[in-house]
Amino acid sequence: MITEAIPPAVPGRAITGLAVRQVRRSGLIVLGLTAGMPALVVATYTSVMADPAAAGSIAKLAANPAIRTLFGEPVALDQAGGFAVWRVGTFLALLLGAWAILATTRVTRGEEDAGRWDVLLAGRVPLRAVVARHLAAAMIVSAAAGGAVTTVLLLAGTDPAGAAVHGAGVGVLGLFFVAVAGLAAQVFPARSTATGAAVAVLGAGLLARMIGDGLTELGWLRWLSPFGLLALSKPYAQNRVLPLLILLAAAVVLAGAAFAAAGRRDVRGGLVMAASGRRPRLGLLSSVEAFAVRRVLRPLTGWALGIGSYYLLIGFTALSVTDFLADNPALADEAARAGFTGLGAVEGFTATLFALLALPVGGFTAVRMSAFVAAETGRHLTLLSAQPVSRLRLLAAEVAASTGGAVALVSLAGVAAWAGIAATGGDLGLLAALHGAWNTLPIVLLSLGAAVLATGWVPRAAVIAGSLPATGGFLLLVIADSVSAPGWVREISPFAHLASVPLSAADWTATSVMTALAVALAVAGAVGYQRRDLQG
Amino acid sequence: MSDLALRTVNLTKRYGRVTALDDLCLEVPAGEVFGFLGPNGAGKSTTIRMLLGQARPTAGRAWVFGIHAADVARAHRLLGYVPADVALWPSLTGAEILHLQAATGPGTDLAYRDELVDRFALDVAKPARTYSTGNRQKVALVAAFATRARLLVLDEPTSGLDPLMEREFRTAVAQARDRGQTVFLSSHQLAEVEAVCDRVAILRAGRLVEVAAIEHLRGLHRAEVTVSYAGAPPAGLDAIPGVDTIEQTGPGRLRFSLIGAPGPALRALAAAEVTALAIREPTLEEIFLDYYGAAETSR
Repeated sequence: MITEAIPPAVPGRAITGLAVRQVRRSGLIVLGLTAGMPALVVATYTSVMADPAAAGSIAKLAANPAIRTLFGEPVALDQAGGFAVWRVGTFLALLLGAWAILATTRVTRGEEDAGRWDVLLAGRVPLRAVVARHLAAAMIVSAAAGGAVTTVLLLAGTDPAGAAVHGAGVGVLGLFFVAVAGLAAQVFPARSTATGAAVAVLGAGLLARMIGDGLTELGWLRWLSPFGLLALSKPYAQNRVLPLLILLAAAVVLAGAAFAAAGRRDVRGGLVMAASGRRPRLGLLSSVEAFAVRRVLRPLTGWALGIGSYYLLIGFTALSVTDFLADNPALADEAARAGFTGLGAVEGFTATLFALLALPVGGFTAVRMSAFVAAETGRHLTLLSAQPVSRLRLLAAEVAASTGGAVALVSLAGVAAWAGIAATGGDLGLLAALHGAWNTLPIVLLSLGAAVLATGWVPRAAVIAGSLPATGGFLLLVIADSVSAPGWVREISPFAHLASVPLSAADWTATSVMTALAVALAVAGAVGYQRRDLQG
Repeated sequence: MSDLALRTVNLTKRYGRVTALDDLCLEVPAGEVFGFLGPNGAGKSTTIRMLLGQARPTAGRAWVFGIHAADVARAHRLLGYVPADVALWPSLTGAEILHLQAATGPGTDLAYRDELVDRFALDVAKPARTYSTGNRQKVALVAAFATRARLLVLDEPTSGLDPLMEREFRTAVAQARDRGQTVFLSSHQLAEVEAVCDRVAILRAGRLVEVAAIEHLRGLHRAEVTVSYAGAPPAGLDAIPGVDTIEQTGPGRLRFSLIGAPGPALRALAAAEVTALAIREPTLEEIFLDYYGAAETSR
């Protein structure tokens, strides 16, 4: 019997729908954060700036190269909008840029790598159009994030021109990194390489902005960096559009290049061919534990480069910032009221910045456990799980490798900060720096413990669970302080219990409690992991 | 140590309201090549995942040589495994994966492994990312056959192989049997199961419907009898139990199907002037379709 064929729907639209579904969840979270953070800062502006002495110090603040390097050039701090741009603008841009890269390579190269595009591309839509529609989905989220920033700043009653320029800048920066990641996904035949290449662009751009902000004679570097161009637009001050047009043009060129490249390559291939053969490298393949170490080494190198260079920069600038604050007690008081005590001494400054270390390193552990879950669902782990190796040992090997990586990252940050301070003639012992860095380890372990717990019971949620103690805890503290929430809300955050080492001694009670909690979480996760079915 | 390579008692797996496997009781003696048959979704892979301790039974238990299947660190010292859909670490080469499998496995004959790499014509210098389905399967097959494990669990191991490689596979199974290894082979390739297996189990919709030697299965199923005769056609055939669907295929030629012992039918034929007689035994495919088709009609 011949049945009538179902009339073809618009196939391209179905692909866009698929792409939007894949970025929807994480996109909404990013959208919420980009809208929420400026709103929070603007809302607290009046209380922070109530003191006229603080306003008088603003010019001095802008003049200090170290502060410009770390936090960007402060412009228009006399307005709530300008203050919000300075406080969270770079962070928003960084957050959106990182999301754009990870989401783009995941839905393009990741899906293609997993073989899920083979069937899709057997349909009527060519590879080029499929790539374009997936990039478009990520770009919609970026544009919406920019729009959300503008809307929130407008609703808060800040200058409309500044709100428009800042929102546009954030949105265009998101578009730029979608295009970068999209192009990387066409050039490289593996998701990890494509992500790595795009993250390298992001890191280099951030570094160029920092150097350009800090050293006046190298200020032109900012024209080469997406973050620099964002700063050059000077929202709420000059409201320059030209830097944003340049950034937009760069995004268009890169997206065009990605589109062209997609038409010139094989499906599952890149412009760069995968090596067709090589001599075996048999190192670290002798046991499950060694293999876990082997798998962590390459990503660890990337994390180490990023974290190491950031803390080296902090070390270089520490002396300048602390001297400056020591000379301007009014500003130091302001900082103390905002929760940053003891910034006038190198020990206090490093202690404050070491606390932040828990965020990236906690993120590292969460990402590692999520990669372990991905290996399970991707069935890469199936052959190993059929070997005479207990599940507990498989999991323990992974947890041990992640813990080792985290300790290495934290120690590296301590050494890098020490080296930077020592190079500029500062006075901070290596051991004191290491103690300060190690002091954050309990929060890192809490992140790992939460990620292991999720791996055992709700494997899909490994990244989110692992991000809760560090990133979630940090945000909770910031928000609780900003809105003067009741004390117990603040106390939930592990950061509320972190002593500022090396300024003061470590709080061993808090350290032990957090570590014990982390171990308990991991044990509960291990129990779940042994009881559940393996996926895939 | 038990001389049963595999044993399951009331093995059951439910996913919510769906019962993937219902009360499976199975015994596979050591040294046997055992075929595990069933249509898609019958519960074959679910069974294997429970035998390997990768999935937890809702009820019942399974043992590998008397060791509880959930105790994987001990049970897996005795088995090698080829999954249905092989996924390999994309950045490792074939040689590196084989090295990892040998280093973490139950003991591997390295010389035999190199021989298998040659026989399966596997290029082990390539990264796994570039392997086709068949090549990924070959890596897993080489790793499993090269082990000295007492039991090989193979889940549709030849679905991506070409006929030449399929022949190598059958040779490797025969060699494993000669070494005394037990082979548990889940497969869709009925010709392959027929060629290598001693006994088969047939699974349908999560339930075991038959376990028997292939020869025995044939006796239970319809053979096709073709008779040529001169003169009057043989009478009374349709009254004989087991005889069915009698067809006149031409002048002096008829064909009928027969289940069970052929004696009564032959006696009826003896009354006629039979000039030629052919009995074709059922293929495994026909047996399989018999079971499967019966399920279709009874629904």
